[in-house]
Amino acid sequence: MPRRGLVRRFVDFPLRRKLLLSFLAVIAFGGVITLIVGTRLEHRTIIDLAQAKVRHDLASAWMMYHERLNAIADVVRLSAAREFLEDALRTGRRDGLALKLDLIRQEYGLDVLTLTDGRGRVVVRSRRPETSGDDQSGDPFVERALAGQTVAGTQIVSGKELLKEGPDLFERAYFAFIPTPKAAERAGDHEENGMMLKAAAPVAGDEGGPYLGVLYGGILFNRNYELVDRIKEIVFKGEKYKGHDIGTATIFQGDLRISTNVLDDRENRAVGTRVSREVDEAVLRNGRSYIGRAFVVTAWYITAYEPIRDIDGRIVGMLYVGMLERPYIDLRNRVMATFAGLAGLCTLGLLGLLTIIARQITRPLAAMVEATDKIAQGDLSHRVEILQGDEIGQLAGSFNRMTDELSLAHKDLTEWGRTLERRVEERTRELRETEEQLIISEKLASLGKMAAGVAHEINNPLTSILINAHLLLERPGENEEDKETLTLIADETTRCATIVKGLLDFARQTPSKAAPTNINDIVDRTLQLLEKQAAVRNIRIERNLDRSLPPIEVDENKIQQVFSNLAINACEAMPEGGALVVSSRLSRDGTHIEIVFTDTGAGIPRENIPKLFDPFFTTKSFGTGLGLAVSYGIVRQRGGTILVRSEVGRGSVFTVRIPLAEPREERRAEETP
Amino acid sequence: MTNAPKYKILVVDDELTVCKSIRQALLREDYEVDMALSGEEALRKEAERHYDVMIVDLMMPGLSGMDLLKSLKAQNPDSKIIMVTGYPTMKNTIQAMQLGAFDFLPKPFLPSDLRGVVARALAEEKEPAAG
Repeated sequence: MPRRGLVRRFVDFPLRRKLLLSFLAVIAFGGVITLIVGTRLEHRTIIDLAQAKVRHDLASAWMMYHERLNAIADVVRLSAAREFLEDALRTGRRDGLALKLDLIRQEYGLDVLTLTDGRGRVVVRSRRPETSGDDQSGDPFVERALAGQTVAGTQIVSGKELLKEGPDLFERAYFAFIPTPKAAERAGDHEENGMMLKAAAPVAGDEGGPYLGVLYGGILFNRNYELVDRIKEIVFKGEKYKGHDIGTATIFQGDLRISTNVLDDRENRAVGTRVSREVDEAVLRNGRSYIGRAFVVTAWYITAYEPIRDIDGRIVGMLYVGMLERPYIDLRNRVMATFAGLAGLCTLGLLGLLTIIARQITRPLAAMVEATDKIAQGDLSHRVEILQGDEIGQLAGSFNRMTDELSLAHKDLTEWGRTLERRVEERTRELRETEEQLIISEKLASLGKMAAGVAHEINNPLTSILINAHLLLERPGENEEDKETLTLIADETTRCATIVKGLLDFARQTPSKAAPTNINDIVDRTLQLLEKQAAVRNIRIERNLDRSLPPIEVDENKIQQVFSNLAINACEAMPEGGALVVSSRLSRDGTHIEIVFTDTGAGIPRENIPKLFDPFFTTKSFGTGLGLAVSYGIVRQRGGTILVRSEVGRGSVFTVRIPLAEPREERRAEETP
Repeated sequence: MTNAPKYKILVVDDELTVCKSIRQALLREDYEVDMALSGEEALRKEAERHYDVMIVDLMMPGLSGMDLLKSLKAQNPDSKIIMVTGYPTMKNTIQAMQLGAFDFLPKPFLPSDLRGVVARALAEEKEPAAG
């Protein structure tokens, strides 16, 4: 479960952290692998290089070893050819011989230079003239020289012999073993033999005759540091590392260090110590060269050991060169450190880069998240500003388009909702109006039918009355009083006829003869007819007409009848004079033309306003009460309406609203009785 | 005046008072005026004697004024027929004129109006006779 928790936690990490962690994992994995492989390779390479060098150095050391040996051989051979040796051996005259030999010995840096006679007996030891006469014929060098050979090689010389050659040499050769932890077990606790580089040459007598004697000489390696130091100087050029010699050389006698420049922990040459068991095994016992890492006295060295053999081929010692491993390890460590440092820097750089990349990748996503949040909160105007052309950019583009659509849809919806509300309101109002209108219309329609019947029925008696009244009037000789009465009858009958005619006009609603008409022209024409009459009654007529109104389809005569009705009513409402303002305009929503008649007359009491358009409603002592009803019918037929606003004492405003478009359904067919 | 033949006029209206009133108005002009209270009666009377002018009410029970007009005009296309009605409509007027009515007079009218129309009809009636 904890792992699942961890995985889940990783899944829930922010994208940026996830990216970074993933990158980091890849880098860390790659880095560690590289570091491990690199270290291995580096180490191998450096060690291989060092070992190749040490192998090469050992070869150089051998050259110097042999060079030294050759030098000894040369000295011995050339000196053996000297006449004074031959003379001394022939004649037995020994005076000055030891001195001469000793000069040669010292000149060439030899430890030993000894002359024997033809049987191998020592004639003179240049180093120690007082001892002579001992038999050296058993010495392999002397033996071979007596056979006429000049020989040179390495030889283990016993302490007894060394003592003969000189007590100091014996002392030099003597070593008490210094306990060495890794050395092989060995019997005894000291070494008294020495190891010499030695050469022997015969002293020739007559041509073909037996040899007169042998001259042999050599140097004792024990505690003689000349060769090892020369190797160090020449091969390693005396390089030091942190106060230590990098290169060291050693000559072993068996497993014992007898000449070395390896120092012990007290800075003394580490002679008297012994080689490790491992090397002992490989080199001394098996005669192989040993190349590799070895712990030498106090430190790790990269070493090369090879066996030193005597002239009979026996292994008598070892030649060793070694280089401090430390510089190489340090070099390797430095390289590794550099490598690791570089890797670290690279990682840091990469991390920086990745952070930027991760930010580059995640920032637009974060912006998207922010945007979706904002949009979710209802801010539909928010847009993601991502200009890049990759998938995220495309996503942002799609997202913005979606938001556009959304906000458009939202706007549409809001708009639609608002429109709907408005429409509902409008419809409600219209319905209410229509309802009122319907009531009025129904009232008017039934009235119209009734009127037709009544008119017909009334007109017959009116005809009779009118004709007969006139017939009586036409009769000559009637008295004036009767004539007056008859005239009254005739006039009132005529008035009845007029009322009936109005009623019929109202009921009839003759069909429209609509034609495109400029409504202002009708207003002008109507007002022209009235102006003179109005002026007499002290009424000012003003026009405020919008001359840009479009022409509309109306029945000119009928509309004129409406205008004239309204204008006359207005004038009649101002018996004391006043102003009639007639204005025309386009309705605010652009669907209707409105013609407004504003007077400064008496006004209409509120309670009378609903009754204004009822047929026969009149407040005047004259008139039929049909004018407004007829006008309303005409306007209504055209799809329009007449609105009234009035205030007693201030005046009235009648607004005729006619739609620009002619109504289709309301074009009524002609009414037939 | 007495020796000259009187013009004969027939008034057709389903209301007797109207017929009488019209007759009275025309009698002043020394016409001979007969009355018919229905279209059928008018046809009968017209068959008995020729009338120079006929004044016909449009709306009558039975044979309507318009049908009467059609019949009379069918019998004699030259007959002068003046239509009267208490409910004049444009349609009726046009129809009547198309059927050959001499004129169309809405009720109520003044005696002078009636006499004028009749006089014009008679003047036209004379012309073909003279010609």
